[in-house]
Amino acid sequence: MKFSRRLIGSRALLFILVFGVLPNTAAAQIKIGIAEALTGNASQYGVAIRKGFELAAGEIAASGGINGQKLELVIEDEQGKKEEAINVFKKLIFQDKVVLLFGPTLSNSAQASDPVAQAAKVVVFGTSNTADGITSIGNYVFRNSVTEADILPATLKAAAQKTGFSKVAVLYGNDDIFTRSGYDNFKKALQDLKIGVTTTETFAKGDVDFKPQLTKIKGTNPDAIVLSALVAEGAPIMVQARQLGITLPFVGGNGMNSPRVFELARDYSDNLWVGSPWSVESSTAENKRFVAAYKKAYGTVPDQFAAQAYDAMYIAAEAMRKLKFAGNLDADRRALRDALPAVQWNGATGPFKFRQAIGRDGKPAGYDAVQTAIVMVTKRNHYVIQK
Amino acid sequence: MEWLDSFWSTYSTLVLSTGTNVLLALSIYVTLACGLLSVANAGFMAIGAYSAVLLTLHTVTPLPLALMVGAIAAAMVALLIGVPTLRLSGVYLAMATLAFGEVVRILILNAEDVTGGALGLNGIPQLVGVFEVITSVAVALYVFLRLAHSRIGRTITAISQDEIATELMGLNVRAYKLVCFVIGAALAGLAGALNAHFTFFISPNEYGFERAVEILAMGVIGGVSSPWGAVLGGTLITALPELLRGMGRYRPLINGVILIMIILYSPKGLWDGLQTLLRRVRP
Amino acid sequence: MLAQQIINGLSLGGVYALFALGFTLVFGVLNVINLAHGAIFMIGAYAALYAVLVFHFSLLPAIFVAALVTGVAGWILDKLIFAPLRARRAPHLAPMIATIGVSICLASIIEGYFGSENLRFPLDTLPSSTLSLASAQVNWLDVNIIGLALLLMGGMLWVIRHSSTGRALRALAESPKAAALLGVNVGELFGATSVIASILGGVSGVLIALYTNSVFPHMGQPMLHKGIAVVIIGGMGDVRGALIGGFFLGFAEVLTIAYIGSNMRDAVAFGLLFSVLLLRPAGLFGQAPQRRA
Repeated sequence: MKFSRRLIGSRALLFILVFGVLPNTAAAQIKIGIAEALTGNASQYGVAIRKGFELAAGEIAASGGINGQKLELVIEDEQGKKEEAINVFKKLIFQDKVVLLFGPTLSNSAQASDPVAQAAKVVVFGTSNTADGITSIGNYVFRNSVTEADILPATLKAAAQKTGFSKVAVLYGNDDIFTRSGYDNFKKALQDLKIGVTTTETFAKGDVDFKPQLTKIKGTNPDAIVLSALVAEGAPIMVQARQLGITLPFVGGNGMNSPRVFELARDYSDNLWVGSPWSVESSTAENKRFVAAYKKAYGTVPDQFAAQAYDAMYIAAEAMRKLKFAGNLDADRRALRDALPAVQWNGATGPFKFRQAIGRDGKPAGYDAVQTAIVMVTKRNHYVIQK
Repeated sequence: MEWLDSFWSTYSTLVLSTGTNVLLALSIYVTLACGLLSVANAGFMAIGAYSAVLLTLHTVTPLPLALMVGAIAAAMVALLIGVPTLRLSGVYLAMATLAFGEVVRILILNAEDVTGGALGLNGIPQLVGVFEVITSVAVALYVFLRLAHSRIGRTITAISQDEIATELMGLNVRAYKLVCFVIGAALAGLAGALNAHFTFFISPNEYGFERAVEILAMGVIGGVSSPWGAVLGGTLITALPELLRGMGRYRPLINGVILIMIILYSPKGLWDGLQTLLRRVRP
Repeated sequence: MLAQQIINGLSLGGVYALFALGFTLVFGVLNVINLAHGAIFMIGAYAALYAVLVFHFSLLPAIFVAALVTGVAGWILDKLIFAPLRARRAPHLAPMIATIGVSICLASIIEGYFGSENLRFPLDTLPSSTLSLASAQVNWLDVNIIGLALLLMGGMLWVIRHSSTGRALRALAESPKAAALLGVNVGELFGATSVIASILGGVSGVLIALYTNSVFPHMGQPMLHKGIAVVIIGGMGDVRGALIGGFFLGFAEVLTIAYIGSNMRDAVAFGLLFSVLLLRPAGLFGQAPQRRA
């Protein structure tokens, strides 16, 4: 009994070795998983992110791949839902056996799905997650999306200096994790800079009318309005404010850094201060090349999401160039994780490096982005960079 | 056994979600079977989830206790709002319960200090596995199947057919309706507590209108003539996005079309439709 | 500030009332909670946008196009979904779930064709004149939305009260069987109702798209939530209810934001909703729920 079982066992082992491991060593392709929201409410970001990834991957392939090996992108739609994100992550990790995972689009989804990657010891690299509690999940979690905590103070300081405001009104979306954590960061930055707040008003995603809040704000006489919103609400807010006769400057978070604000708030889009690591107007050689290539491939001007995805692909590629893939999935994944933190890259979003974050247990965990903020103000449908 | 391991690694969350969705479908089955058009289950799910999570995050509560607290919290709220709300009937009840769900969501959103508001609660310990989910589903299913053929089950069917006649027979219709409502709430609360403990993160927005409508769809698609309808409805709604994965961008479209087709061809639910089909094949 | 908030309340209320008019009509006559109304609303906006962008129509013809497209959509909705379900004597909730499916399909088609980003009407589609009235700013669109809501309600009330079609509709709403016995062409009238309701939804879609400067595939969802609230408050199936309910909700929200706090806005709105349901379930103008024969 024991004898035949052992024989079957070793035959199975041989089977697995021959058909499981060998093909991996023979493959000349590096599999990368991409889980983004390609349909649903978050799809405008997910689709832009995907375009950034594909543009970068295409360029890498055109220049010979990674040490001669080709990149294979396995793209899945996580629909902006947390359960989908978990399911998609598991499929990419266990079924497609990717060596690295990009995504997901929303911070909410990341908080549910990144632990899966951490437990499976696969690098998950977010390009659009900015909320708290993500990189603290563990040391396999990376992101190159600079958090509001790092950018907002710089934006506020620059705007305050140039326009001289001493008291502001605050308006933010209180039902969305992105705008909410943006507000928390604004609040802290305002306190640190000792700028007074005349009133704090809220709105919800999907709202169409902001005049009640704006009328109330107007009545408290602030010098500027601090806005934590995404463009979908932010643009109508600016339009309605101007229609109500409010001519004050706006200071916006990351979400307002999008060329769409010019389309949606045409003629009313001036005087918006935004800080971001990336600007479409940035005149570095890398950025100009990126913007031109993006326009050529997709016919539109890129936004921040596309830019960060583009750079993320290159950052990951940089780490992979330093490796020699052994064909053993676990070892390769671990090696990639070990090589990534040291990568420094100068891409469309400027000079970049990682900084390790602290986990929930106080020990070192995942990796956040370190980049300098560019402060811009809108003027006649352009972002004008402030030095 | 390697394929099982591989299957499980990839699909474990899907299986667990199917389990909790079946529980949610059962929670709406019990109210629909009683003739109550209640769409409040997403709200109860939220109450169950948040109560359980606040316990496991901040104290060292064993899982079974946390789950019970979740279910009981939902049940208590159901008791509270059930008495005035169940006076309504039909579409009015549907609207009221829909509004209730939204109120719960807004309260959770605004109680930031406790619930984290829009930022949600994350880092939830992964305590739930197949055992807990399967046990819950099995127990609920067994109880309902037994009840369906008992006197209580017949009373409930009678109520859904004609309330006035049942009342005239001397039965306390209001009590029965309240009990169904409360049990439905407890199940939804349990499902919420379970779901929270295998998805690491909860936030108020996942318990809103979309979730309420999804639960309703599960109930209606499965059908209310039998608890098995709930099993069918819950499983289908969970599995469909996964089965359609290959469709790429067309996934939501096909999802919608399938929903429409099912309702058009089997308006009383799939379970009923299957029975009709089987009867035709096996006269 | 009060003057401005009153204007804000009127225009927000007008927006809600316009949407609710179509929604309540389908409920009152066809007895269906039409969860696809939000999607039809969205289709109207996109149809007008397309007319303006591709065919360079001006505003009024574009609105006409929107009415046409959504009218057809409403007709198809009835023929393909509501009528078969009526014929099969489907349970109450079945058509509602079917409309959920329709709504998913429509949003997905639009997303596939137009993309999911917010789009907007070109700036010159609307005159941008603003009037200053007692320290409040009122613009052309505000006036039009409020005016149109009142006009449509007045028109519909007249039709319902004084025309033979209106009488047939009222008979239908009361009891389809009796109406059929009295010689009303029930099927055709159901279809016509769906068409009218969809046109109302589509036109309000265009106006609100202009008001908010954005058109996106899921724009109908938040409106649907508000529409349900309006219909509960005002009374389901009643045209006056949709109007009064709409303005009531609009004012409640605006005044809450102005004097209590904007984060309490939804809580107050839903609290009101709940109270109406518990104290007067039929809503301000609705009829007490009666068992249908």
